[in-house]
Amino acid sequence: MRKSALVSLRKSPLLAAMSLKDTSKRGEKGASKELALALPLTSLIDAFCIIVIYLLIGTQSGGVETPVSAKIALPNAENGITVDKEIATLRIERGSYFLDDKMISKDSLTEKLAALKGKSPQSVELMIQADTNMEYADLDPLLRASSEAGIETLRFAVVPTR
Amino acid sequence: MKKDLNFELNILPVLDILSVLICFLLLTAIWMHVGTIDTKQAIGDNAISGEKNPPSLWVTLAKDGSIQLSLRDVPKANSLEESISKISTGINWSVFSSKIQTLKEQMPELRTTVVRPEAQTSYGDVIRVMDQLKKYQFEGVGLSPLG
Repeated sequence: MRKSALVSLRKSPLLAAMSLKDTSKRGEKGASKELALALPLTSLIDAFCIIVIYLLIGTQSGGVETPVSAKIALPNAENGITVDKEIATLRIERGSYFLDDKMISKDSLTEKLAALKGKSPQSVELMIQADTNMEYADLDPLLRASSEAGIETLRFAVVPTR
Repeated sequence: MKKDLNFELNILPVLDILSVLICFLLLTAIWMHVGTIDTKQAIGDNAISGEKNPPSLWVTLAKDGSIQLSLRDVPKANSLEESISKISTGINWSVFSSKIQTLKEQMPELRTTVVRPEAQTSYGDVIRVMDQLKKYQFEGVGLSPLG
């Protein structure tokens, strides 16, 4: 009884996969087949764990993924609210304006924002991404243009600190 | 004696390194949450619609870090004109915070605020002022364009 249990353990593919050693005797039938079955299961499980953690964190955040330029250091804020829907983004980078990653001139701000407003019958919101060290003078043309275009809600992107 | 040419390539250490790299990239590059501070801006002819304006707090930010607080559209008894001097690091945040907290306690109906920065004021300071106002339940925070 004990002997037969040991024999079955030796032939187990799982045990062979864990040890990754050729435990069979030379000349034994089917030895090469057993080696081919030795999969590195540990690393595959590691990869799956990482994917699971990635998905778990991604689904629990509850917000919309918002790309932020690496050249911009967003200001910090304690009372920022989560971005819950896709909205148009206007980025201010060294005095240049980018509406959804397309560069637009200062003079055409009103026209482009009015076109954005015209596309949607509902209330249009605009997310503004700007560097924390930027001067307010760079934001001023955007405030005027959004007011003229009829965009009432501006959402300033921040990094929540709590 | 014939040499055995078959060998097993040990890919486990390579996969482990890759796993660590993936973890590193996930933690450093992706998980930066973005929130927003919202403002309601005046549009069109809001200012001349003839409606009585609600009581509002105006916060004027100077480029050197001093702050002027003033109340508008309130009874004369409640009028306020106060300034907060700058400190060596810029805006005196603790005094500003305590002032608006006191103001909110005295006038809970005060919900509207207008932030008026100067041209050279830092955007970060403007956002922090709005953040502080949101903290004390000032819901209608607006930004004034440069005069």
